[in-house]
Amino acid sequence: MSINHNKVRPVYMNLFQIRLPISAISSITHRLAGIYIFFISLPLFLFLLYFTTKSYNDFMFIQQAFNNSIFFSTFVSFSFLVFAYHILTGVRHLLQDLHIGESLSASRVSSYIVFILWFLLTLFVIWMFYL
Amino acid sequence: MVFVDIVCHLDVLPMIGSTLFFAQRFSAVFLLAYVIWLITFFIFNQPFEFSTWVQFTNQQKFLIFTSAVALIIPLHAFIGLWTIGTDYFTQRTLGFLNNRLSQYAGLIRGAYTFLFTIWGFLIVFFILFIIWS
Repeated sequence: MSINHNKVRPVYMNLFQIRLPISAISSITHRLAGIYIFFISLPLFLFLLYFTTKSYNDFMFIQQAFNNSIFFSTFVSFSFLVFAYHILTGVRHLLQDLHIGESLSASRVSSYIVFILWFLLTLFVIWMFYL
Repeated sequence: MVFVDIVCHLDVLPMIGSTLFFAQRFSAVFLLAYVIWLITFFIFNQPFEFSTWVQFTNQQKFLIFTSAVALIIPLHAFIGLWTIGTDYFTQRTLGFLNNRLSQYAGLIRGAYTFLFTIWGFLIVFFILFIIWS
């Protein structure tokens, strides 16, 4: 038994050499969605809460902005959808913490279920506000 | 300045794993329950109108739960963002991007921790200000 001490070992990991499985993609997008919510969605929700409860005129102004400005409505819808995504993947993680669907195949299936549910929700939002 | 120093070094404080784990999960369940409560309001009050919305946001129940949420959101977010910081803003992972950059990993992580801590305080302040004003 001899150990080759001269073998060159990588000091830093090359992140692009890691091929992420579907469950890992679900996990990392959960984190990215969390960052987006904390820095962008949350202030937006507070802005909406403040102006929709301030007075009737402000409420109507927000509603009209939502109906007339495609930029504003898309921004708000996207922020809500990111929040919904964080919740769906979060529920999946909570179930796994309770040892439900922990196996490799089950976590793969649950990632696909979460993606499909979110896709359907996105279609529902598009159907509701844009068609 | 003592405050800044403390906040910059929050990421090297001994964070107890199981406490963080349970704080993160229980706060998540609470926030989920709150969101479901709001969703049921929106589902049962269609079309969305000013009078019902103001009535809903002025009730005692809403003020109490939202105040609790205002304090729980930063807790949940702090643990999550702290985990992200210690996972990705380290010498090992930043060295993949740039060798020089990795030397400043501690500083970058400190600045990042400082940024989201301040942001969390602002969020708490604005939530409480908006709902109680």
